[in-house]
Parts: sequence; C-alpha cells; structure tokens
Amino acid sequence: MRRPVLVRRDRPVRGGQPLAFAVGLVVALLVGAVLLMAAGHEPMSVYQRMFEKSLGDSNAWSLTLNRAVPLGLAGLAVAVAGSMGLWNIGAEGQILAGAMGAAWVARIGGTWPGPMLLTGMLVGAIVGGALLALVPAVARARIGVNEIITTLMLNEIALRLLQWLIHGPWKDPASFNFPLTPMLPDQAHLPMLFGRAHYGVLIAGAVILVFGVAASRTAWGYELRIAGSSADTARYAGISLKRKILTVLLLSGGVAGLAGGVELSGTADRLTEGISNGFGYAGIIVAALALLRPSGVAVVALLFGAVQVGGQSIQIIGVPASVSTILQAFILFGAIGAGVFVRYSVRLIQMGVDASGEGEEAT
Amino acid sequence: MTQTAAVELVDIWKRFPGVVANAGAHLRIDRGTVHAVLGENGAGKSTLMNVLSGVYRPDEGEVRLDGVLHRFHTPADALTAGIGMVHQEFRLVPSFTVAENVVLGAAERILRRQDVEARVDELARRFGLATEPDRPVWQLSMGERQRVEILKALWRDARILILDEPTAVLTPNEANELGGVLRHMADDGRSVIFISHKLHEVTGFCDVATVLRGGETVAASLPVAGTDAATLAGLMVGSTSLAGERPPARAPGEVRLAVSGLCALGDRGLPAVHDINLEVRSGEIVGIAGVAGNGQRELVQVLAGLRSATDGTVDLGGKDVTTDPPRRRFGSGLCYIPEDRLGVGLAPRLSVVENAVLRSYAQHRRGPFLLEASMTAHCQDLVDRFGVRTGPLGDPVAGLSGGNLQRLLVGRELGSGPGVVVAAQPTRGLDVQGVKAIQDLLVAERDTGTAVLLISEDLDELLTLSDRLLVMHQGRILAEFDPRNSERSIIGEAMAGHLPEEGAA
Repeated sequence: MRRPVLVRRDRPVRGGQPLAFAVGLVVALLVGAVLLMAAGHEPMSVYQRMFEKSLGDSNAWSLTLNRAVPLGLAGLAVAVAGSMGLWNIGAEGQILAGAMGAAWVARIGGTWPGPMLLTGMLVGAIVGGALLALVPAVARARIGVNEIITTLMLNEIALRLLQWLIHGPWKDPASFNFPLTPMLPDQAHLPMLFGRAHYGVLIAGAVILVFGVAASRTAWGYELRIAGSSADTARYAGISLKRKILTVLLLSGGVAGLAGGVELSGTADRLTEGISNGFGYAGIIVAALALLRPSGVAVVALLFGAVQVGGQSIQIIGVPASVSTILQAFILFGAIGAGVFVRYSVRLIQMGVDASGEGEEAT
Repeated sequence: MTQTAAVELVDIWKRFPGVVANAGAHLRIDRGTVHAVLGENGAGKSTLMNVLSGVYRPDEGEVRLDGVLHRFHTPADALTAGIGMVHQEFRLVPSFTVAENVVLGAAERILRRQDVEARVDELARRFGLATEPDRPVWQLSMGERQRVEILKALWRDARILILDEPTAVLTPNEANELGGVLRHMADDGRSVIFISHKLHEVTGFCDVATVLRGGETVAASLPVAGTDAATLAGLMVGSTSLAGERPPARAPGEVRLAVSGLCALGDRGLPAVHDINLEVRSGEIVGIAGVAGNGQRELVQVLAGLRSATDGTVDLGGKDVTTDPPRRRFGSGLCYIPEDRLGVGLAPRLSVVENAVLRSYAQHRRGPFLLEASMTAHCQDLVDRFGVRTGPLGDPVAGLSGGNLQRLLVGRELGSGPGVVVAAQPTRGLDVQGVKAIQDLLVAERDTGTAVLLISEDLDELLTLSDRLLVMHQGRILAEFDPRNSERSIIGEAMAGHLPEEGAA
C-alpha cells in the first residue's frame, strides 16, 4: 500500500507564485462555470460579458482602474505591515477613518480652492487612518498586544463612529432624514484622467511605487526585512523593533486611510455608511495573493478590480453579483492551494518499508 | 541475550545536511527501570529519541520493542506501539480541563464528565501524580502541566515514557516530586527514559545511564549506583587526551574586556548569572566551560547587550558599555558569534548578501538608498576570504550548509576587525572540517591581538584553544584552570559543582 506525503522542497519553484495564481484563476472559473450552469446560465456568455465590461474597452478599463485603487491601497497597507510579520486586519476601519478625516476637511474647507482642499482632504485621510492604527501600534510596540485582535476590533468602532456622524452631527439637513452627509463641494472631487478614471489611479500607483522602491532599495526597507524575518536577528543587529512596529503600523493605517480619502473624493459624492464596500477585507486577500510584495499588490488589485466590475455588469442579465464574490473566494482558494506545491512536492510512500531514497515525484 | 529488552535501538544512523546527528548509536532499556540518556547539546540525544518516537526515520539501524522489529512512519505509529513522549514544550489546550486534555484524541465516543474525571483521578493517584481533573490547564503551574502530559501518556497506556529534559521547567521541589513519580512508573513495570544533563538528578532518580557523545554511544547502560557524577561528566565531555595540537600561545597584552560583579536574570525571571568577574586580554583566548544551563547563555547575552544586567559592569577597552545597546557595542569593537546561527546571527529567509551586510549596511548607503553593487562586492569579499561555499549570492541563506553558514557568520563578525570576540558554541553541530576551520579562524584572530572569549560545551575544544579556562556552575565562575596542565577529571568535577582543592577561583 502507498500513501502520499508532502515533502518540503529544497527551494520554492521559480516563478511559482504567478503560476499558482493562474491555477487559482482557472479553478475559480471552472467552479464558477458549474455554479452558473446550475443556476441556468450559459457560463461562456456570462464570462464574455464580464470580460468585455471590465477590460473590453477604455471605458471598461477606467471602471476597473477606479476599483483597483482602493483595493491596491488597502492591499498595500496590509502588505507593508505583513512584511514585518504584523497583520493589520483593520484596513477596513482605517479606510472609514480616512474617509471621515477627508470629509471633515471638506466640511471646514468647503470654500477653499480645489488643489488646497484636495491636498487637505488627502492629508486628513492619511491622518485619520493612522490615528485609528495608533492604538494597536502603541499597544503592540509597548506591551506586545496582538495587533490582529486590536485592529479587527477597531473596525467596528470606526463603523459605529461613522454611523453616529451621518445619523447625527454631520447629517444633511436637506436629506429628508436619510443618514447622509451633504454633497461634497464641486472642487472636492479628484480631476478625471480618462473615461471615468480619476486621478486616484495615479495617486495609488505612485504610492505603491514609492513603497516598492522603499521596501527593496532603501536601508529602511532592509531593516524591515530583517525584522520581519527574525526579531532576534533584528535585536542582534541593533534595529529597534519598537520603533519599527510603531512606524510600520502607522504607515499601514495611513495608506489604508488614504484609500478612504481617495474613494470619497474620487468616486463618491458624499460620505455614506457604504463608502468602503469591504475594500479593507479584500485588501487582506490581495496582499496574501501578492505575497506581500508591492509590485504583486498592483497586479492582483487590478485583477480583483476587473472581477468586481465584471461581477456588477452581469447583474443586468439576471446573474447575482455574489457570483463575483464567489469567484474571488475561489481564486484565493485555488491560488493558496496551488501555492502549497510551490514549496512542497508530493511523494508516494510505501507503507511498511523504510522510504528513504525511494518514492516518486508526482507534483 | 538473557532477557529481551523493552527497547533496543541498534546501530542508529541519522544524517542531516552537514551534520551527522547519530553515528551508530545504541540504546538498550530494560523493563521497570528509569534510564538516563545523557549527553551534551548536539550529542544526538534528541535525534535518537525522535527516532524512537517516530518523528524521524533512521537512515540505518533497527528499532526493537520487546525483541520485535518496528518501523515507525509517524509519531502516531510509535504511540500505538506504546511509546509516549513528554516534550519540553507542553502540548496542552489551556482552556480545557485536566481531564479533557488527558483524554483528548483518545476517548470513547460518548463520555460522561464525572466518569472521565473519576478515571483520570484514579490513574493520577495510582502513580502519585497529584492533580485536580476539573481544573482548567491555564490555571496550573508548570509542574502541574507536566503531570498532565505524563497522565496523557499513561492514559494511552504507554509502556515506554520518554521525558525530554523534564526538570528544565521545574523548581527543585517539583523536580524531586517528579523523581518519585518516575519510580512509581518503573515499579509498575514501565520503562522511563530520562533525558537530562543535570547530573545530580541522574544520580538521584535513575537506575542506569547511557551516555552519548558525537552521535555515538560512549557508555551503554551504566549502573548509576556504582558511578559518581564526575565520571558521568567526564564521559559526557569525552576522555580522549588532547584531540588537537595546541597552537603556540602569545604573550597577552592589555585588558580588552573586563566584567565585574555582573548579575543577570534568566528567561523566567530567576537569577541566572551571579557576581561574575573576568578579564580577557589582547591576544588571549579565555574559555568558559560548564554543563549547559549554568548561566553561560545568559552571560553571553548580557555581554552582547541582548539582556540587561541587574548589577555589575561590563568594560570594553576601558569604556563602560554596561547600558549600551548592541549596535553601539559593535561600534566599540565587540563582535559576537551567537549560539543560534539561524534566527539570531543570520536571518534565514534573507539572501546571502543581505546577511553579509547585517553589521555594515549603514556603510553601503547613499541617502536613504542602499548601494546594491557595493553590498554585493562586500559579500563577495567575505565569501572569498573565509571560503564560504554558496550558490548565487541572492539566494536565501538558509540553503547553505551548517559549516558554510558559520563561516559566513564568523567571517562577517571577524571581518570588521574587532577588538573583542565573544563566541558562543561556535563549532556546535558542525562536521569535522567545519570545526577545524572555525577554530583556526579564532586562533588566527587571537594571533592578531584580538581578545577572545570562547564559550563551549566541548571540553576538548576548550583545552585545545584556551589560554585560560574558567568553569561556570549555577551562574557563578567556580574555578580557573590552566589548560596546559590540568586534569580533565578535575575540570569535570568542577563542572559537576565540586570545587577542586587546588584550583583558585
């Protein structure tokens, strides 16, 4: 009798992660096709429509890019913390905090000229997100409180704060009692790039680029890698872990906050409860699939943007939008499942006989 | 063969990349005995026990239980065959009760809480393991948690119990109680394997002892009754007289490292280093000998700035560095070769280049940016000078063999031209060539006038390399020896805590 056993490879398969990602995509499309057929739809035509509406022409691209902006920034936020072995599960709350920060600047600066107001809003967004991350950052750096728990719990607090603001002090007097803030002033909207794509695309691209360069080429990024690889090695080399934890979590919060600010001034006309749309949680998936690399974050965010935009487009032909959520989940499952084989190979082990030296590669 | 042994390990070989952990080890354990397995760190005890408990498969050799040949593929196979292991790190669910932990994974389908608790209680009483079956584990002391681990093994009716350094987490009183429990189990016809390097416990609790050294069995089933601690210590550290040529000594120069009245706490907040005074001069190697766990590790960490001193001072080239962080000490000329190569001295997932510049990356920057070319050149220089065999320099350092990892680490530290080297277990786990290479590097460094403090558990190494030899026991420096004309049996006694008459401290 033989049984399969996972054996760790000496080194990961080169280029394995993009391959695993592609496998995940194929798995997701196949499973999705089965689900679509079960629901009485023609999978190929649904997929074709999804593709056309997300990547088919420049208008479709503009929608996908807009979607990729908050996904990419949230993914970057998670990845920056993750490169040091910290898990910021609070990007969702930090996005809300960032949106609140930007909305507050828009309230007090409603008469400012456009460039000044927009800069103020984005700074407000970064500060808002960083402020929400401050508590977990200090608690982790000072007394070692697990940041996963604290950042996650603050999501709820940020949401309640936002609900209180839009039901209470920030409610639009002309909204007939709907929980809405007043419309943003015209000059508070980010300028358009092409189609419906706004300048947030450039902002997100630039931020991801800066972090990518900082992480791979600077002494700061080097220290971050050391600290992420082994805390003891960092201590040995004289790198202050406390300071690194603090700066990294604040930066992570700030980047997520920026996503909220860009989303508010780019695609929304006012602050609402649904301003984030789960981007913070999707960001965790984006970062995980990108193996916490900024360049990977950009690619994965773009793909997830396309899947989400495509998913919305098929509602018109009667397919529930949750199809896109299911597809995203299966991409994650498939890619993580395939990712195992990047680091492990399968061997069949003969039972009852010592297995050293025999067994077949069957990846 | 007069009586079939409960356990027989015959000619066990286990090789890991760059290391032979077991080289033909033997072990024979009779029913109803408490059997000590002794050896220094790296002697192959853990590997041998992992072979017995099914964690590792041996490259060669046989595992026999009651004379029957067994081949374990998983720890579960060994458990089924009656082998229970109590690991150093407990594997308990903190929020479960004692009884729940004991029966976890080994219970009938339907359980009544009171029944299970009564049965666990009964089992515990039978073996003198005082415990409260309905208490959650998180409320228990380390000693109580260990009793739960032992109960788990007994519940599964283990006939052979392996305890891996069981007293490391216990207070002296708890350790004595454990001794009584082990006796109970032996009297019940079970066999207990007691892994330790605390000699007084071995002489106190155990019937027979097997000593491993360098992966081989150097003394099999020695009756403890007729053996004293010093003999065991001598066997552990080896008895070959002067394994290597002593390099010619130099006349030592000025004091480079001076430690006075140094005290520090261990990981559990108990005093681990007491009132240490020592000096290391330019051009000499001072060795520190001692059985593992006698404060050497903590002393070294205090010197490196990774653990704070509770009292006393550390002077580096005439400058008080007692409160300086690690980087400033390095800047003052202290380099440190830590005991844990991967994980402290080197970051395993980062590349060879990234690890090579760990101490010097600040010199390879322009503004905020690191200069890739300059770092690679520095790394290539180290690799060439210290003969590190590597693949591409951009590959993770974890792919290097043990000997090459250590060459890279030692090269990086020595390459900075330090005034003082603190080397903790620099050759542990290396193969013969690797050991020789590292020892030669340390001697060459001394010959350039560097002060070297060498901490090792290998007495041969210390006798060969040191110009002066200090023995540490229970956090204190117990004695100083001249390695050129000291008998190893006397040093062995000092390591076991017996003060020699003529040795001056």
